[in-house]
Amino acid sequence: MMKKRIFAFFMITTLILALTSCGTEDKKTDSSSNIANNAMDTTNDAKDTKDSNATEQTSGDNTLTVWCWDPAFNIYAMEQAAEIYKRDHPDFALNVIETPWADVQTKLTTAAASGDLSTLPDILLMQDNAFQKNTISYPEAFTDITNSGIDFSQFSAAKVAYSVVDGKNYGVPFDNGTVIACYRTDILEEAGYTLEDFTDITWSKYIEMGKDILNKTGKPLLSCTAGESDVIMMMLQSAGASLFDAEGNPDIVDNPVLVKVMETYAELVKTGVMIEVNDWDQYVGSITNSTVAGTINGCWIMASIQTAEDQSGKWGITNMPALDGIEGATNYSNNGGSSWAITSNCKNVDLAVDFLAKTFAGSVEFYETILPSSGALATYLPAADSDVYGKPQEFFGGEAVYAMITDFAGKTPSNNTGVYYYEARDAVATAIANIVAGADLKAELQNAQDTVNFAMGR
Amino acid sequence: MSRSTRKHSLVKRQKLTGWIFLIPATILIVATNFYPMFKAFLLSFKAGVGANMKWCNFYNYARMVKDTVFIQSLKNTFFYLIIQVPIMLILALILASMLNDRNLKCKGLFRTAIFLPCATSLVSYAIIFRSLFAVDGFVNTVLIKLGILSTGYNFLGFPTSAKIIIIIALIWRWTGYNMVFYLAGLQNIEYSLYEAAKIDGASPLQSFWKITIPLLRPIILLTAIMSTNGTLQLFDESVNLTNGGPANATITMSHYIYNMSFKYVPNFGYAAAMSYIIFLLVAILSMIQMKVGDKRYEG
Repeated sequence: MMKKRIFAFFMITTLILALTSCGTEDKKTDSSSNIANNAMDTTNDAKDTKDSNATEQTSGDNTLTVWCWDPAFNIYAMEQAAEIYKRDHPDFALNVIETPWADVQTKLTTAAASGDLSTLPDILLMQDNAFQKNTISYPEAFTDITNSGIDFSQFSAAKVAYSVVDGKNYGVPFDNGTVIACYRTDILEEAGYTLEDFTDITWSKYIEMGKDILNKTGKPLLSCTAGESDVIMMMLQSAGASLFDAEGNPDIVDNPVLVKVMETYAELVKTGVMIEVNDWDQYVGSITNSTVAGTINGCWIMASIQTAEDQSGKWGITNMPALDGIEGATNYSNNGGSSWAITSNCKNVDLAVDFLAKTFAGSVEFYETILPSSGALATYLPAADSDVYGKPQEFFGGEAVYAMITDFAGKTPSNNTGVYYYEARDAVATAIANIVAGADLKAELQNAQDTVNFAMGR
Repeated sequence: MSRSTRKHSLVKRQKLTGWIFLIPATILIVATNFYPMFKAFLLSFKAGVGANMKWCNFYNYARMVKDTVFIQSLKNTFFYLIIQVPIMLILALILASMLNDRNLKCKGLFRTAIFLPCATSLVSYAIIFRSLFAVDGFVNTVLIKLGILSTGYNFLGFPTSAKIIIIIALIWRWTGYNMVFYLAGLQNIEYSLYEAAKIDGASPLQSFWKITIPLLRPIILLTAIMSTNGTLQLFDESVNLTNGGPANATITMSHYIYNMSFKYVPNFGYAAAMSYIIFLLVAILSMIQMKVGDKRYEG
């Protein structure tokens, strides 16, 4: 009797274990909530490597393995690129392994630190903000492509700069994260405003109108993830400022632009014009569930906004507010963006270079294909003249938004990420959380600067 | 004479067989556990970015004292330890002795229900707790509907409430696990002891204090050490439930070590040094618990 019961008990536990692990496997990968999928990725990887081995056997050395993370965006782009390349090279094969950015970083660090680079793919997609850190920490993991024949002058100089270390090119630029401000025009109208009123404005004007809209409609203008410093970094870059000076020293406590940014952020939260949510899913939810009347982010956010199909035509896009009373303040900034890097594990560098040169760095047609459905805005300059960029987008009020964003991109001040970018970001995020909770601004910025100095070993 | 040598060689042979059986496991443990631990120990005396490491003596250890984030994470971890472990163990003990009652119906059902949280993956349950306690999550919706709150409370947005949520999550996840140990221990206590106590007029509370607790002491010690160990290495909850926030108020030591190795500019030497501090803390705490809890050799 007892034995039977114990047996049944264990059967149920194993069953449930099996069920729950299946449950996680079904979860969709999101660029931001990716740690959740760590466990599942390992199993998938095992499967994928097996697959790639199988293809390698049939197609010889013409297979390239790629790590990137977004099925609607960079994976889609990679696959389209392969289609185009296959026209001239019918035996070419591409093996994309969906790997969230946090996992790419973890695997890269593990491989490079252990000295065993054989686990790396041929090409991987790297966040621009992490490019300097990784290439400086592990120069042996990447292939120098300066003289490979790829014409880097065809890309905007500010973008290429992210992937240049000691004058050597390590990356082929891909998407950019030009900041756009998106507003629900129907909600603005309800409160008596138009998109015009929000174009070329400053933050003080933004807060003033935001308070009015909050009163009239009960909707905040903006949402953001608490504990992340995206909004702060966007504001900072819009005035051409950064958390580091030209020599790479942290420039936090005596940085007048940062002080202004922190004050603006705190006021946004205090007035209720901006609400803070706890994670990425809630952030996207606040936009698509009409909890907020707008958002400000890199232009890749358009893909998430467009998942709310019932809101088609109700969105408008314009530039972001500028900081008040700061010299060099603009209405343009950048958040995110990534570049392709060829690893030193790539057995067929010529093929990888040729593939990237003929698609991402050489085909206007390619960018015309990927733009409409993925919104992947090119940093490849010749593509910007294409007709596709000038087409009106119904979802965004029938405006030719892509041409507009390309125009914004040209006006964006460049910034200095530095090697210790993530340390500084987190330190500033900690500071702003404390400042919003009522701590002293100067003291918190001093703490942040100390934290960064500490991380740098000073 | 010959009999004794044969006996001797038989014992020898038996001993040898024993050693042979031990060898595979020993080799595996040494190769996958002790060797990396030794390498990590060496690593903790090196400093540098990425793969370029240089010897630096005790620099990493001296550095820790001045690291405000590390000290914060140490405080957080001990906060979880001091509040959560006692609550969880007492709760598990109460549940176990309740389920040990012979007259209780559907024992198997209750036992399974209480043990089930242990079968969920750490990451999934942390994410579920995060959405439960979101501003527009289930808990807030219920509280608003009941009229207790007027607007959603941002549980994960304030240091104290975020810590409490982590503690609640930990209790939910691990109480059943410890309860199973107690249940197993209770199987070894003769039921007649309880019956005798009952005849002598002992109340249930008295028999709990006078019979259950003393006889379960070794198991309680075991669970206490395991829970201390587990809490000091807490990682998934800090990463997935709160992401260390707000402003590092819930970050644990392991989470900070992870950030140091994989999120920031990789500093493996410093990360290894911090890992050794956790190791030392676990060793010291376990030793104290053994000293206090293990009465086997006393009269």
